[in-house]
Amino acid sequence: MSSFELFSILVVILYGLGALSIFTGTITRNQKLRTLSNLLTITGFSLHSVLLVYAMASNGWALPAGYYMSMLSWSLLLIYFFMWWRFKLSFLSLTASPLALVLFIGSFHIVKGGSQLPKAWSGAFFGLHIGTLFLSFGLLAMAFGAGMLFTRLERKIKTKEPLSNFEKEMPALTTFDKVNQLAVIAGFPLYTIGLISGFIWARIEWGRVLSGDPKEIVSLGVWFIYAWLFHQRLIMGWRGRKAAHAAIWIFGICMFSLIGINIFTPTHHSFLQ
Amino acid sequence: MDRDIYLIGLNHKTAGVEVREKFALTDCKHLEEGVVPVDGCVKEALILSTCNRVELLVVAEGDNAVEHILNCWAKARNLPVEELAPYVYKHKGLDAVTHLFTVAASLDSLVIGEPQILGQLKTAYHESVDKNTTGVILNRLLHKAFSVAKRVRTETGVASSAVSISYAAVELAKRIFGDMSEQTAMLIGAGEMAELAATHLLNNGISKVYVANRTFARGQALAEQFNGEAIPFDQLFDQLEKVDIIISSTGAHEAVIRAKDIRNVLKKRKNRSMFFIDIAVPRDIDPDVNGLDNVYLYDIDDLKEVVEENLAQRQEEANKARRIVEIETQTFNKWLKSLQLQPTIVDLIEHTDSIMEEELAKTLKHIPEATPEMEMHIREMLNAISKKVNHEPISFLKRRHEEEEAGERYIDITRRMFNLDRDDVTDKAHPHRRR
Repeated sequence: MSSFELFSILVVILYGLGALSIFTGTITRNQKLRTLSNLLTITGFSLHSVLLVYAMASNGWALPAGYYMSMLSWSLLLIYFFMWWRFKLSFLSLTASPLALVLFIGSFHIVKGGSQLPKAWSGAFFGLHIGTLFLSFGLLAMAFGAGMLFTRLERKIKTKEPLSNFEKEMPALTTFDKVNQLAVIAGFPLYTIGLISGFIWARIEWGRVLSGDPKEIVSLGVWFIYAWLFHQRLIMGWRGRKAAHAAIWIFGICMFSLIGINIFTPTHHSFLQ
Repeated sequence: MDRDIYLIGLNHKTAGVEVREKFALTDCKHLEEGVVPVDGCVKEALILSTCNRVELLVVAEGDNAVEHILNCWAKARNLPVEELAPYVYKHKGLDAVTHLFTVAASLDSLVIGEPQILGQLKTAYHESVDKNTTGVILNRLLHKAFSVAKRVRTETGVASSAVSISYAAVELAKRIFGDMSEQTAMLIGAGEMAELAATHLLNNGISKVYVANRTFARGQALAEQFNGEAIPFDQLFDQLEKVDIIISSTGAHEAVIRAKDIRNVLKKRKNRSMFFIDIAVPRDIDPDVNGLDNVYLYDIDDLKEVVEENLAQRQEEANKARRIVEIETQTFNKWLKSLQLQPTIVDLIEHTDSIMEEELAKTLKHIPEATPEMEMHIREMLNAISKKVNHEPISFLKRRHEEEEAGERYIDITRRMFNLDRDDVTDKAHPHRRR
């Protein structure tokens, strides 16, 4: 086994233990376990970063094919750490750590059969294309997690049902809403840049903007819903429940297109190449 | 040793308020030597008297200690002992210790987990220390009681979650808004509970309080009290746009605030959340308001329900706390037993022996060429030092032990000096001790 593979397995173990301890820590209300979970995830994340840098360095500083899922998993955690630092929302680890684990394991499988992409794939627009889209995916994932927790807590406060111990420790409703706000204000422009840079790149490389690829169609659809949420939130002053529900839907479609299209459908966006 | 700890008292469960009033010992500070004088069979004494309980904690010897204490108590109040006796509980030995820990941890309080009792117990203890009526056992017992109370507070949820209406309202506000420093509140109408809630909100860092009262002057007076701003009652809805938390308690007979009013306000606020607390009866705020998005309305019954829920939860946590009390009682018992000469001597020798073994192992690591013979010589030398160092303190303790009174004190000092009970003592353990 190469040291590279060993590293990857180590990252899987660290993410796995991190996800396991955040869930047990939350259920048993054990603060030590939750701290441990964050430490494990941070360690895994550092190793993961080393892996990515190594992979890029050995490919002329461009992300090699087969590493998209891995990069996606990494971006997701990056966004989670930001949320944690900015809003003290370590609660979002409940979404971030298992999702990062699944994506990373998925990427592991793909890397094995990895092949080199044509050099053209490493253009600046391509980098911008995946970088911005992955970050907006991370933001949406956090808005999804925050939205789920928000909906649950909000319904209980509204209907005056007694809160469980788990809910008593949750952050305030406004804090969850701030995650949604960020996912809309920063996430939508990022998503837009991601789409545009993709089209520009396609124009340069393939000579046409649209090629009728299923991923393109779904992504455009998502863009319209996202734009609608952006408008409602910024202009109409949507907050709380409605915005949370919209974010949950958008992320759901993104997840569906990620799993359904990038992996199982023949498309030039396939992660399997 | 027939010396024992006695705890005699009455509380809100055993005696009604008239009885508690009659036998309260709060105004007995003038008694120079205390309610239970420390002489004869009484060795140490402490009196705790609050509105919910009167407790006499005494270390005494002899068979009729309980009667003696009861007589002292009745005498201090100038009442016949027969009137007192039926309401009194009498604990002895470990039962007394358990009871004291239970009281200190606020598990015996009317509202479980309320924080005052610990402060009252601390004051009672300091008074006894000032009167010089506490000794080795009570000093240790009370310090232990304080640490048990602290442990219960941090390790269980008996003291968490609000058990008063106004606190419950503030807690809910925190659940909705989180950090309160950017939030503002408005009092509509004045009333004791509304004022209390406003005070709690201010203590939790709310940035501003507005007061809208039908009598403007009264509103102004109240606003001044909260460093806030009074607004005329008829401009209420113009100001609502700026306000996140509304506490309403007017005497109006029909709703002051209706859903359609709030719908307009929300539009102006761009749907920022609003929290309405309606503590008026009949209600001031139309219940339909709760149906609006991003608006939360709690009336007095909702808040009462929250409080009851929290009280039930405290009761559950109290069982966890009682286990802590049990364990700590056993620890205290161990110490109590060790206050005898023999175990202390054994502990002292074991203490030096363990240091000796540790140091010996360290030294031998540095001399790998040491033969078994060399090791034996070093060990003999260490043994001799240990014996000689311990000889004087041990014979000193034995001599003191033969003099009736002093034994326990010196044994206690020795145990503390060499930390034979392995206590964690912080630098600031006794800031109140002047002597």
